[in-house]
Amino acid sequence: MPDKLSFKKTFHALERAISIAHQRHSLISSNISNLDTSNYKAKDIDFKTALSQTLESDHEISLARTNPRHMELGTNSANSIEPFEEKGKWNGYNWVDIDKEMTRLAENNLRYRAATETLLRKMAILKEVIREGGR
Amino acid sequence: MNFLQSLEISATGLYAQRKRMDVIASNLANIETTHTKKGGPYRRKMIVMSPKPVEGFDKTLALQAEGVKIDDIVEDKSPFRKAYNPSHPDADKDGYVLKPNVDLIIETTNMLLARRAFEANIAAIKSTKQMALKALEIGR
Repeated sequence: MPDKLSFKKTFHALERAISIAHQRHSLISSNISNLDTSNYKAKDIDFKTALSQTLESDHEISLARTNPRHMELGTNSANSIEPFEEKGKWNGYNWVDIDKEMTRLAENNLRYRAATETLLRKMAILKEVIREGGR
Repeated sequence: MNFLQSLEISATGLYAQRKRMDVIASNLANIETTHTKKGGPYRRKMIVMSPKPVEGFDKTLALQAEGVKIDDIVEDKSPFRKAYNPSHPDADKDGYVLKPNVDLIIETTNMLLARRAFEANIAAIKSTKQMALKALEIGR
């Protein structure tokens, strides 16, 4: 199965990584916009744990659907990641630390770009193989 | 899940900070206002914010990313400043004029904070934009 070899694992893992980085980005944006909300607790997800959890749960069994009205079993496992409330410091107003959030924003942005870039390079390799294979 | 939601979250932050700035500007403009329609000097106003779930967020999503909204604009109940100025039309029988409870230093500090918070939201928007553009490169 050539397509299984070339597409399956890396593409899948990268897709999940991008999806998790995106969700994390939403959370960090949310923390930043709630910078001045009293009693607000910053939320986050742990990238590594989330990724390994998602990849593990993707290996679990799936149900065969013989009728389009059958429900899918846990459609997108990337959506089931539970964010946790950060144990930050009380700054006299809420639990958001702006320095931490900005660092996370930058870090997560890099993760996202790294995953996307890897995906792009993987594609470039495939393209190369397609182009040069016929020679 | 799309980037517009991240943008919307940051936009609520921008809006809230801008409104906060409006209130600070109002406080500063009225720093010497000694009589208002309600009677008495101007009272310092403050903004109360609370998290707001972004519309269109998948309800099954465990992820709770929230924007921010302005709940209320409340008045500072702290006592007014007093200044001795018997010739002022708003002076009481002892010659004291009640001045607004606006503190220039507090307002200036809040102004800086609002500006920085606004900038933080802008940084988040820039980051969202970069990510979205990077994602667009896939499949090119």
